[in-house]
Order: sequence, then C-alpha cells, then structure tokens
Amino acid sequence: MLKRTLLASAAALALLAATAPAQAVSIMYAEWLASLVEPGIANYEAATGEKVEAIKLPGAAYDQRTSLDLAAGTAADVIQLDSFMVSEFASSGYLEPLTESAKGWDQYQYYMPGLLDVASYDGAVYALPTDTDVRMLWYDKSNFEKAGITVPWEPKSWADVLDAAQKLKDAGVQYPFQLPAGIKQGEGATMQGFYMALLGADVPEGDRNRLLNRETGQWIGDSPAIRKTLELYRKVYHDIGQPADLNYAADPGAAVREALANDQLGILASGSWEDACLWDCNGVNLPSREERDAMVGWTPWPGSGDPGNKATTNISGGWTIAVNSKAADKAKAFQLLSTIFDVGNFKDWTIKNHRMGVRTDISESPEYMADAYLAKATALAADTTGRDTIPGYQTVSALVQTMTTEILDGASVEDTVKNYHDALVDEFGADKVITYE
Amino acid sequence: MRHQANPWITSNLWLLSAAMLPAIILVGALLFFTGWAITFSFTDLGLTGRKAVEWSWVGLENYERLFTRKGFLESLWTTVIFVFFSAIVGQSVLGFLLAATLRGTVSTTRSVVEVCIMLGWLLPDIVAAFLWSATTSQTGLINSLFVVPFGLKPINFINDFALPVVTLANIWKGTAWSYLLFVAALDSVPREIIEAAKIDGATRWQRAWLVVLPIIRPHIATNLLFITIWTFTYFPLIFAMTGGGPGRQTETLALFLYNQSFARGNLGFGSAISVAMLLIVGALSTVYLRMLREPK
Repeated sequence: MLKRTLLASAAALALLAATAPAQAVSIMYAEWLASLVEPGIANYEAATGEKVEAIKLPGAAYDQRTSLDLAAGTAADVIQLDSFMVSEFASSGYLEPLTESAKGWDQYQYYMPGLLDVASYDGAVYALPTDTDVRMLWYDKSNFEKAGITVPWEPKSWADVLDAAQKLKDAGVQYPFQLPAGIKQGEGATMQGFYMALLGADVPEGDRNRLLNRETGQWIGDSPAIRKTLELYRKVYHDIGQPADLNYAADPGAAVREALANDQLGILASGSWEDACLWDCNGVNLPSREERDAMVGWTPWPGSGDPGNKATTNISGGWTIAVNSKAADKAKAFQLLSTIFDVGNFKDWTIKNHRMGVRTDISESPEYMADAYLAKATALAADTTGRDTIPGYQTVSALVQTMTTEILDGASVEDTVKNYHDALVDEFGADKVITYE
Repeated sequence: MRHQANPWITSNLWLLSAAMLPAIILVGALLFFTGWAITFSFTDLGLTGRKAVEWSWVGLENYERLFTRKGFLESLWTTVIFVFFSAIVGQSVLGFLLAATLRGTVSTTRSVVEVCIMLGWLLPDIVAAFLWSATTSQTGLINSLFVVPFGLKPINFINDFALPVVTLANIWKGTAWSYLLFVAALDSVPREIIEAAKIDGATRWQRAWLVVLPIIRPHIATNLLFITIWTFTYFPLIFAMTGGGPGRQTETLALFLYNQSFARGNLGFGSAISVAMLLIVGALSTVYLRMLREPK
C-alpha cells in the first residue's frame, strides 16, 4: 500500500517537474551598475525569449552579501564582484573558469591582459572586468575660495593637504577632509583612504610602502609606512577634527553627495567614478560638464613629501562579472554575461559614465579618446598599481579598516599596529607575517 | 481518570510518526544550527578563500581570542550599556509608567498616545534608522527646531553622542511591546485587592509597591526575558544608523559578530562569538526564569 502511494507521488512530482518551465538564468548586481546590467538583460531577453531573474542589491554591504550567498550556495548564476574578490572566490571553488567559454566569443580578444590578470587565479580567467579606475583627491572649489586656497589646487605633500584641511576647517567647512575610515564602507576605506596614503608613506623598494611583500607572499604586520599612515589618520580626525559620521551614515555614498550639495565638503579622497557618482552613479540628470567643473576639481594624491617616496600615488581597482560554479546552465549564464558586455551596450555605458575602459575596442574608439576627462584620468593610470589580490586580501583589508576604526576611537598608533600584527598572525601564521624596521 | 488516546491513533505507528514529523524537523533544525555554531567555533573556517573548504581544528584558540584580542570585551560592555539603558530602563520602565498613568485617563488621550507608541514599533527598522539619522544629524530636525533658533551652535548628535542616540532610538522603537504587556498585566490585578488595601489605609505608593508589583511580578519577568534577548542580539537599527561607529562606539556584540564573520571572513571566530552570546543570554534568561517562579 505504502509503496504504491510513494510511487504515485513520485510520478506526480516527475510530471510537475516536466511541465515546470526551465529555470531562468539569475543575476546579482549592485544598484549603481544598473545602467550597464539592465540594458544587457533586456537584450538577452529579446534575443532568447527567456526571462532573466534580476536581483538588484544596494551598494552598501554588497561584498558581504555576495560572500555570504556564495558561501551558502544561494548566489545567482551570474554575479557582479569587486575584482579583488575574484581570486578569493575562485580559490574556494565558488566561480566557474571562463577561459573555455570565452574562446568562442569574438569580443574576448579586446580585453586588456593586465586587467584579466586581476580576475584570474591559477592561470585561468574567472571574471570579466566592467571598468577600472584611478584614485585622487576631489575638492569643492567654492569652499576652497572661501578658505583662501588657490584653485587649481596642486598639493605636493601631506603637509600641503593637512594645511588646506586646516584652512577649510577654520573657514567653517564642516567636513574639511573626508578620508575614508572604518569598517562600514568596507573596501572603500582601504583603497580610497589607507592604501593611497600608504603608497606615498615610504620608499617603494622591497614593497616597504605596501601591505604585502609581493615577492615572498608575506603580509607586512608593522612598518614605518603603516605607522605614518595611521599618524595621518590621527591628524585628520583628531588634530584637524574631521567628523567621522560620513563613514558611518545609513548610506555613506548618499551622505557624501548630500554634504557636497550642501557645500559642507572640502576635500574628498575617492576615485575616478566620482565624475558621475558625486551626482548619480547611473548617470541620471548629471549637471553639464561646465557646471561640474565649476563645482569640483581633482588633483593626484601627493606622497608624504619625504625624500625617495613617490611624488604622487595611485592604486587601481575595478569591478567584474563572473559565473557561479553552481549555475544550473553555465552556457546560458555565459551568454547573459557576454550580452551585457556586448560592445554596443558596454561602450555606451563606459563613455556615458566616464568609466575607464577595459577593452581596446572601446578605449581606442574616437568617442573615448575625445573625452577630456577620461584622457586626464588615463594619464594618471600610467603610474598605477593594483591591490594585493591574493587569497586572504579580503581579511587583511577588513583588518586595515579596523586599524582606522581604532585610530578614530583615539587608540595610539603603537597599540593599533600591535593589534593588527596579532590579528594577521592569528589569520595567516607567524611565518606569513613580517615587520619592516 | 487517566487520559486515554484513541486506540486507532495509538496503534497506527505511521500516523503517529507523521504527526510528529513537523516537531522533529523543527527541533532538529534548532539543534542542527546550534550544533553547527558550536562545532565550527573550534575551527578556523573561513567565509571565502581556501579556509572555506580546507578548514582545520584549532581547539580553544577562538575562545582565547575573545579575551586576548581587542573587540569582544569592548563590544560586550557596549552591549550591556545598550541593553540596560534601552531595554531595561528605557522600554520596560517607560512602558510600565505609561501603562500605569494612562489607565486612569480618558479614552481619546489614551488612544492618541497608544497610536504614537505603536507607530515606532510598526515602522521597519531601516526606515526608522534613516529617520533617526536625518533627525539627529547636524542639519537635522532637532538642530533646526531646538538648537539653532536659540542661537546655539548646531550639534552633530549622531556623531558626538552616538550610543545615547542609538539607545534613544531603540527606546522609541520598542516601548510599545512593554506598554502593551503591562496594560494587560495591570488589567489582571483584581480590583477587590486594591480596594481592600485602600481600606486598610495603604497609600498610593504602598499600593503600587506592595500590592500591584508583586502580583504582576511574573509579567515583569516575562517582559524582561523577551526584551533582553531581543536587545542583546538586535542588529538592523544600529547597523543602519551607525554601522557600529564612529570608531567602535556603538559596536554591540551583534555588529562585532557580523564584522568578524562577514567583513573579516572568519566564521570560526564568529561562531565562538555567537556561542559566547548564547551562554550570556542563557545565563540572563535563567535569572529571569527564577524570578518567574512563585516565592515559597
């Protein structure tokens, strides 16, 4: 009797499964990338007649959400990822290598090899980049005039930057120097803030100005550069008195935009995307080029000014889109990926949003080359460097953010570095951590 | 008479097992997740990277780090302050006072106040967080209504007084629960007993302290039990309002756990934090449950 019931239910289930439509391809992306992803989805749906399950997420805590979903096996088939996470996820087996599928796609050849390297692990490409970037100091021109600082502003050392921040503070600007700090903004605090300063804090030899000795693969647990960078944070947040709240706002990006709109912002350490994102990341209702240029300017991040250090610093990141290794239909997932990156859609988005191109067929196009802003930003990219994108970087980055947290709390540089060193040893073992005197 | 179940049911083993299935699944799931956290608190399991697949046993290392590394004890202290002031002092005492004072008032006043209290409770945490952030910022409502008009310099409340602001927000958000519970509790106090105390010459204060409070003691304990557990592990409002900052000023254990597990990506350490939280909440619950028992 029981056997027969079971058989009958099994048959019913099989029937149900057969009549159910094939599972739709799904994609996870951050809200700010909608203007690239959504037209791609529409094109895919038009071409295949299949619906795409689009999961649009807020930009805040996006990295944590994708990490958790991938670890739990519940992530979408196609996933937008910060480029530094690609090797991390690939090493845990969460991502599908794309090298084979990409060979059959005629536009793959145009991707710049250096940028594919960032999205590779163990010799295989695991994601395709959406854009790359450079980092700089943005400043509000009207507040600079109010504080009596010459525009265009060309600081040559940290002393020049701090001096300007002090003048802005004295002139009543509420946020004289927004130097990203703390853990809430995640990678933004590491890249736009800490790493940009770190690179100019010591001589580049032996990776003394980095978090990782790239030759030996050891993390740097204590160095003069790390201490000097923390000292800079201390000066900005305690001596000059930059308020910390922008780093902890309900939506930090929106808080910065609001501060700029209210004329409360002096200097902002950020990146090339701000040419659009200071108003709207998806490029909606941007003020004209002239209006934007009248409001804000930017200058390269200077080094500390000590002899032998870099005169200006830069570090590049960027985002990517990858395929989940658990995707039900990997061919369809790749088709969606390549439709999003199809030259028509991709070129439009790159140029309209002033993103730095990752493909020669776009970056060598006349429209791209005619854009004055992109030309200037690309010049900065000539002397850039990348993150330490080896597995473990995500953890180190969170620990770096924790260092800035402790400085905000008023901890001494000495204690902060000690806690950082201890945490690195906890995570990677004593033989993977070195100290520079 | 001993209760007898229907013999058809007791003899039908299949039906019995089928009826028990939901309970077994529920208990099983509860035990599984707790067991998972306890097991992995003895490992170095990572969220991503190689340690996500090739984790190893590390013994008590994660538990040692709760005490030897910065973060846990600081967050525990922040949590204790947050729970004490926002849940126990704020929600519970305020809820009780409101319930006690509104009992005698006319129904319209009472309805208006009740609706106001409920609004905070019904609003989603994220909306409440944006509301509070906007109200307490330098250009926010409080400054433009109460500070600037009096010629004072605007104060950046959410930056300068982060923990008090978050505490206040949580009182505003959660008082409705305690209020409702105490209204029901006070209704259950028999009128005759109060009348009798009055005739015996007890003052208003004596009636409240010596008659009403002992009668509703179990309700007080139940309320404290619930709000302590909730507030101890409460996450969304603080996360959205301050993300634990500035610095670590509002980093309660729930946020510390989140940052260690999902930002730093150390699920082993995160599990140890959650087990420690479980033990602390468990100990507090035992105290409250003892309060629930009738004194001998």
